[in-house]
Amino acid sequence: MRIPKLLIPAIVIVALLGGYFLRLIFTQPTTATTFDSSAGAKATFIVDGVKCKTTAAFFSALYDSVPGIIGIETFASEHKAIFTYDPDRITRDSIRAIMEAPIPFDDGTSEQIFKCLSVE
Amino acid sequence: MTIPRTRYYRYSIFIAIIGLVTWLALGYGSRSFEAYCPFGGAESLWGLFTAGEFTCALGPLNLSIMIALLALVLLSKKSFCGWACPIGFLSELGARLGGLLWKKRPRVPGKTNNWLKLLRYVSLILALVFTYKTGELILRGYDPFYLTFSGIGHGSAGIISIIVLAVLVIGALFVPMMFCRYLCPMGAVFDPFSRLGVIKIIRDESTCTSCGKCGKACVQDIPVHSLHVIRHRDCTNCLECLDACPEKDTLQLRARL
Repeated sequence: MRIPKLLIPAIVIVALLGGYFLRLIFTQPTTATTFDSSAGAKATFIVDGVKCKTTAAFFSALYDSVPGIIGIETFASEHKAIFTYDPDRITRDSIRAIMEAPIPFDDGTSEQIFKCLSVE
Repeated sequence: MTIPRTRYYRYSIFIAIIGLVTWLALGYGSRSFEAYCPFGGAESLWGLFTAGEFTCALGPLNLSIMIALLALVLLSKKSFCGWACPIGFLSELGARLGGLLWKKRPRVPGKTNNWLKLLRYVSLILALVFTYKTGELILRGYDPFYLTFSGIGHGSAGIISIIVLAVLVIGALFVPMMFCRYLCPMGAVFDPFSRLGVIKIIRDESTCTSCGKCGKACVQDIPVHSLHVIRHRDCTNCLECLDACPEKDTLQLRARL
């Protein structure tokens, strides 16, 4: 069967778009931490600095002993963190302030590692 | 010199994709440009099978794009390389620039060329083993896609990365598509599937005058003029040979198993 030339770019574009939407099947969090089994409100933060498994784990660890945080899921490739929290005990602004606080290092210096780009 | 219309289409797609990747690399969009790299899909497989999670910065998009591209290769050989890969495009531009610089470009002899192509399997094995062993993308410092679009950014190997990139750019002027031919690990992943690609170029031997223009037009140096069915693993269905052929319908794009 003879194939028109323009079919090639058409199927390349379809394949790329197909790959883009196929991701939904494979989506899973880079880290998933649950501190409490109770239900709560959800907030999604896009965070500059959450970019791989190590930084995602470090980011989650910032909330290890923060009252009101029920769970955190991070998605490194999307720089995304989804918080489940108790709105009576902690606010979105407080959650944001914790991630944006400078992190102290052993040599006495500190640096802001994470920066919130947006909140949903 | 007239530029074939198909090349305009190809270059338009390439430029759109390079624009998109640059836009992502500049920090716009919700994902890093690395999230769209199909080779990341291959690198993530071990982590997914053994620990059920993606390695380092890799994510579902890497995997899904790789799967979609493998389906594309089964349908239309390495069309991704010839129509959409940013590094394929930059390599082709290097090859065309090299063509202008050289009166007669030196050719890598056939046997040496075939042996050198085995390097891409070495490149594939090294990339996979290092990623699996360390859980980090530590070879990104030698990856032209990452180095180009990150501006030799985080995780690069400093001066060594600059040397690697310089060698690839200068090498492309001497050997067309040098990286794609000899070093691209994604090309190695595609190779066994590419031979099976259904849509391929067929040469009608009864009307062919063996002028060799098709072979000269091929940036992958495939001897199109001496083959009947172009099953060659490196064929990207870029259609340059079809446009170069002076005999009507001698080279045709057909679906054939």
